[in-house]
Amino acid sequence: MKLNDLGKNVEANVECVLSKAHASQDKLNAVVTFVDCEKQIEEVKKLDQNLPLYGVPVAVKDNISTKGIRTTASSRILDNYVPVFDAHVIAKLKAAGAVVAVKTSMDELGMGGTNLNAYTGKVNNPYDFERISGGSSGGSAALTAAGVVALALGTDTGDSIRKPAAYCGVVGFKPTYGRISRYGVIPYASSLDHVGCFTSCVKDAAVALEVLAGRDDRDMTSSYEPVGHYAEALNSDLKGKRIAVLANVMDSIKDEAILKNFDALCEKLKARGAIVEKVKMNDELLETLLPVYLIIANAEACANHSNLDGVRFGMREEGADLEEIMINSRTKGFSSAVRKRFVLGSWSLFVENQEKLFRKAQKVRRVIVDAYADVLKDYDAVLASAASTTAPKPDESNDEKMSDTYLVAENHMVLGNLSGYPSITVPCGFAEGLPIGVNLTAKAFDEQNLLNIAKAIEEETGLEGKTVEVNA
Amino acid sequence: MEKFEKGMLKKLANDVMFDLNDQEISELQEELEIYVRQMDLLNRIDTENVEEMVYPFETPTTFIRDDEHEYALNAADALANAPRVAANHIVVPKVVK
Repeated sequence: MKLNDLGKNVEANVECVLSKAHASQDKLNAVVTFVDCEKQIEEVKKLDQNLPLYGVPVAVKDNISTKGIRTTASSRILDNYVPVFDAHVIAKLKAAGAVVAVKTSMDELGMGGTNLNAYTGKVNNPYDFERISGGSSGGSAALTAAGVVALALGTDTGDSIRKPAAYCGVVGFKPTYGRISRYGVIPYASSLDHVGCFTSCVKDAAVALEVLAGRDDRDMTSSYEPVGHYAEALNSDLKGKRIAVLANVMDSIKDEAILKNFDALCEKLKARGAIVEKVKMNDELLETLLPVYLIIANAEACANHSNLDGVRFGMREEGADLEEIMINSRTKGFSSAVRKRFVLGSWSLFVENQEKLFRKAQKVRRVIVDAYADVLKDYDAVLASAASTTAPKPDESNDEKMSDTYLVAENHMVLGNLSGYPSITVPCGFAEGLPIGVNLTAKAFDEQNLLNIAKAIEEETGLEGKTVEVNA
Repeated sequence: MEKFEKGMLKKLANDVMFDLNDQEISELQEELEIYVRQMDLLNRIDTENVEEMVYPFETPTTFIRDDEHEYALNAADALANAPRVAANHIVVPKVVK
């Protein structure tokens, strides 16, 4: 479903989306909360019908605060939490005429890449229910792929929008760090967290960016850079565009179908006038992407979530004293996967480990980003396959066990989080009926260039607006 | 390689206010073997004279706001999600004994 497929009848749009969401729930398990939209509909009716998202029902990842609507971040500890304020992006959506229709499942607190670690259980891939959606924004990706919504919000700390977008065959877009305010988003790792979106076409991602972007004083990392007219300025002309293929990633992928699909795309881009060249970064440096990410993300997460203790909000477990209440609430409230990550974070922040782990990781982060900037200096964008395989089955997925395989191919999209550069996954075809995605990254705040190249890829694949029927 | 004894991991968990059971500790010990190997990869990178990167961009985005009241939660909203409330306060067991 594309934004243009929706009419201006907000009630009909909401009814259609909610009925599709309910019908798909048994198959996908993508929704945490179905929203009673009555009051929002009344508010939208007072607005100008020419607003960019007038009457559009939106799916929102469940770590984004929605006033009066339960927001759990797919964690037991927040199972009863109802925010008393809207996140900045929710206020922006509402001001643009949108309606929050459903809150979507995610890996608990954003910590995971499979969506297996959600309090409400696994989210199923719309193309094969046995397979994973990817995570952590799996519910939003699955609902977009199934044509339930035209627009879904997600967040991306490692590749949590762009990987599920690849597995589910939709556009997944994470703009530059600071481009969209995170005020009201339950954090994972503050120096890496981004807000972004899922759509079924590049133009809709451009429309969403224009609505969501802009300075917000309540997020001190929010940028003052002016917001463009991204959709209106979309231009898929590739003549003279310089695209770097990240050879380290492509050389470490073994899946023949993915490699063949990627090579065919490169030929098509060249035929459109783009200059497509292989570039190679230092292998040893790229092998540190995952450990640098894990050290920084786990440490920041451990600190960020110290306020989840069952005392002022959230699920409280009883105890003889305050300390026991906190320990009992946090032990029962977090899954074992999350508690283990917190232990790793706490370990790297130990005084004796700070220099050799946490600060070392921050220094290597700078070396990585400098090397990446050096590549992008000569190119408009860096292109690589978004994942090394199509969506795996749960027992094939090694994300939770911190596998030491595919350090580069499975984790290269972390480059977009370490650097803060804008990055987008675009559907690129199918292998045995399962979606394949490619990932593009551009210079900081060069979203227009990124979207333009993504649009050209979409024109070549013919997958604009592609969704899959899950209720057949 | 650094040893991760059960007692140490239990203490790490308790320091950040939760508990781990024996099975979780045993899983964590296994995961730490891989984790430490991955952390070792960082030592191959020369970071002599490299400044830590804390945030992606160094463009200043902070400011000193005017000393004016802007927005504050009212008491009802602040207490709306508290598990136990009495007389406009969050109820917890006695702290000073």
